[in-house]
Amino acid sequence: MDILELAKRKAEEAELYEVKTEALGVSFHGGEVEKVASEEILGRALRVIVRGRLGFASTAGGAPEALVNAALSAAEHGDPAPFRFPALRPGPKASVFDPSVPGISVEDLLTWGEEVVATIKREFPELVVNVHLSRVKSEVLIRNTSGGELREARTFISFSAGVERIREGDIWLVYESQAVRRLEDLDRKGLLEKILTKLHWGAETVPAPAGKPPVLFLPSAVPVLFLPLTHGFSGLAVFLGTSPLKGKLGEQVFHKDFEVWDDGLIPFGPRTRSFDDEGLPVGKLPLVEEGVVRNFYYDLRAAALSGAEPTGNGLKGGPFGDGGFRTPPGPSPRNLVVKPGEGSLEELIREMKEGLIVGEVIGLGQGNIQSGAFSNNVSVGFVVRDGKVVGRVKNTMIFGNAYEILKDGLIAVGGEPEWVGGSLFTPPLLVQGVSVVAR
Amino acid sequence: MNETIRELLEKSQADYTEVRWEEVFRSRVVFQRDQLIALEATEERGGIVRALVNGAWGIAIFTDLKDLPQKIAEATHLARKAAPHVRDKVHLAETEPVVDRFFGKMERDIRGVSLEEKRRLAESYNKMILGFHPAIVASSVRYADSLRRVIYANSEGTYVEQEIPDVTLMLAAVARKNGDVQQGFESMGFAAGFEKALGHEERAQAAAKRAVDLLSAKPVKGGCYTVILDQELAGVFIHEAFGHICEADFLLRNEPMRKVMEIGKRFGVEALNVVDEGFIPGARGNCPYDDEGVRRNRAYLIREGVLTGLMHSRATAQKLGAKPTGNARAVSWEHEPIVRMRNTFIEPGPYTFEEMLDGIEYGIYACGAFGGQTEFEQFTFSAAYGYEIVNGKIGEMVRDVVLTGNVFQTLKNIEMIGKDFEFKGSAGGCGKGGQWPLPVTHGAPHVRIRNVIVGGK
Repeated sequence: MDILELAKRKAEEAELYEVKTEALGVSFHGGEVEKVASEEILGRALRVIVRGRLGFASTAGGAPEALVNAALSAAEHGDPAPFRFPALRPGPKASVFDPSVPGISVEDLLTWGEEVVATIKREFPELVVNVHLSRVKSEVLIRNTSGGELREARTFISFSAGVERIREGDIWLVYESQAVRRLEDLDRKGLLEKILTKLHWGAETVPAPAGKPPVLFLPSAVPVLFLPLTHGFSGLAVFLGTSPLKGKLGEQVFHKDFEVWDDGLIPFGPRTRSFDDEGLPVGKLPLVEEGVVRNFYYDLRAAALSGAEPTGNGLKGGPFGDGGFRTPPGPSPRNLVVKPGEGSLEELIREMKEGLIVGEVIGLGQGNIQSGAFSNNVSVGFVVRDGKVVGRVKNTMIFGNAYEILKDGLIAVGGEPEWVGGSLFTPPLLVQGVSVVAR
Repeated sequence: MNETIRELLEKSQADYTEVRWEEVFRSRVVFQRDQLIALEATEERGGIVRALVNGAWGIAIFTDLKDLPQKIAEATHLARKAAPHVRDKVHLAETEPVVDRFFGKMERDIRGVSLEEKRRLAESYNKMILGFHPAIVASSVRYADSLRRVIYANSEGTYVEQEIPDVTLMLAAVARKNGDVQQGFESMGFAAGFEKALGHEERAQAAAKRAVDLLSAKPVKGGCYTVILDQELAGVFIHEAFGHICEADFLLRNEPMRKVMEIGKRFGVEALNVVDEGFIPGARGNCPYDDEGVRRNRAYLIREGVLTGLMHSRATAQKLGAKPTGNARAVSWEHEPIVRMRNTFIEPGPYTFEEMLDGIEYGIYACGAFGGQTEFEQFTFSAAYGYEIVNGKIGEMVRDVVLTGNVFQTLKNIEMIGKDFEFKGSAGGCGKGGQWPLPVTHGAPHVRIRNVIVGGK
């Protein structure tokens, strides 16, 4: 029997979220094929409102009756639902599906992976190369008792390569990844070039500049500054009082050159979709304009609690996660975009003259994110002297506060944005005010 | 189930085939401030087939048990496709086939405790935190449990049924003063029943008190210090910084790293002994049989300062000429087993805490673990809080204590190992290769290390 019908026997309202995922992936470890794996998963989540109380349950492979009973029983002990499920209406259709993606074969993936290994090994035979490639098709269905049904098929290709340079007492890993929705956006050559550039830059190890030198965050390291912001702009964090941006709407909190918006409709963006995981349309939402806080993002619950309008940001999973049927929706950005400034990477490096380039860190999310603090080990970082990269750093930490740096420390926003972290489209950011500690 | 799976495995065309089918009961209650964010008790099922053909792995993951015959064929097909591309063929170390079952002990079966009671428990901890002090502005309390019923069978005749219980509790408080936000938390986890989630009122209060205290703690001054790690942080250190590089899959096709990690090489002082143990009653990292059906073995990683062993799967053991240690673990039915830790610890040494403080002119006592990550030899981890050590005495509280360094140098810089050993199961878990959070525990006594980089202003 239909799950919603079944739920409707006891619940006033119900919402079904269903996702069917079909994926194929290959992994290379140490330059060798390690595994080829296929995946076919049907996941379901059900939210119900019974006597005004909200219940949630999720399952994979479980029977519909069990799912309904689990959701009903959760509602029995649940809290009053501050919202109702909206009637589902199709909004603007997003570009998220490329029919050629499901046709990518095992051989294609194996060939692309071997190409990466061979190219890097040609120049650096001593390096250990690890590669992961996968193609995914997911079909999402959302239905609720307020009426309507939304369906969407989405495709995804993820491609990552890690290169290890291992000498005793000096082990170094360079990593690049891409997450795209269509085949033509997959830039295998670009990914390789980026890795090779980093390997060339890092041929020599040099001492890090200590104190508070200018620091250039490459796009791949900008999540260091953005992780606190994804928390800070969450309507739920604002409501709960854990966001330092609470009460700051309309205020100048960031540098005037800092502009950020969240947009769920960017054609083929990694988190683009026609509707969020609660079935709401996902338009462009300005977050920061000329340094002024314009909006927070909300799911149905956070919006209802705060007396705000939902913004179509009810997503399953965390800010950089890809969702999942097991979690109830929460406020989370779709595609975060940082307005680019001007200048190529080379120009930024020339402009900074002396300083540190941060390419990758370890320990992302460590420290007191809520306050904006970050504290990371620089795993891929380069020293700039006289406007030129002279080598890489070792045993170096960066330390600072994202809010302070994006307010008083922003020197320049680069002109060449890239997708990083699965949801962020950002150029490099040149800043000051980051403490650098090195041994 | 046994007979059907056996028949299908016998018919498989692959050189080696294994099936793992899991039925998982799970429930959780999450409060943030006064909001009930999640309340759920549910079941899920899923499976994974792994097939080895001519030295190559093919894998198929699925949620409908009816599909099992096709999924065995699919995994075999994928392995066959991969095989011509594999030069360094996979072979499995021999193990005796076993037929066995293991059911973890629960005094109060988590399936028999109502969601209402679980909610009441979480709510009572939550109220205690929120009411502790006016500066407490938010909280996060999470109770989660699961019972993972795993059926494992392979084409060599192994058939193991296990029921692994897991109960975790996270108690966190957020305090705020003049725009400054600080967090205190207590995190615990057990391979046990609901009984273990009860009676942690003192720890809820400790979390709240710490958040409030941290508001007036000064940020640590960055620099290079002699540091004493408390038991929890020392456990995280040995897991993160050293444990991961002793996972043999990491060394499998990594000639240079294998030279770094040569058995018999000295890594630390005589007093340093590091162990990964597959079963300690009630410990979250327990793995009586791993996800390749291998019975647990104790893996001595460091004995008297010298590297004596690694953690293995069947494939890594075969390549490196070792015995499987029972460390091939999968976080769920969505993943294949990879080499993982279980219960990892530093054995106690001879010193009291007072003896360890003695002689430190200025240093840091780093406590609790906020998180940790490694990239080979580079590690970084955040202490939840810390204290200055001034002239051999514990001084003022400090915050934002993040430690980083090179593991090999740091191990050599261990000066003293305490006698006050403690085992810690936390509510979090270990992440590797996209598999997170895997239940693990770690243990250690206090450990004193010289020349540790501490990040700070």
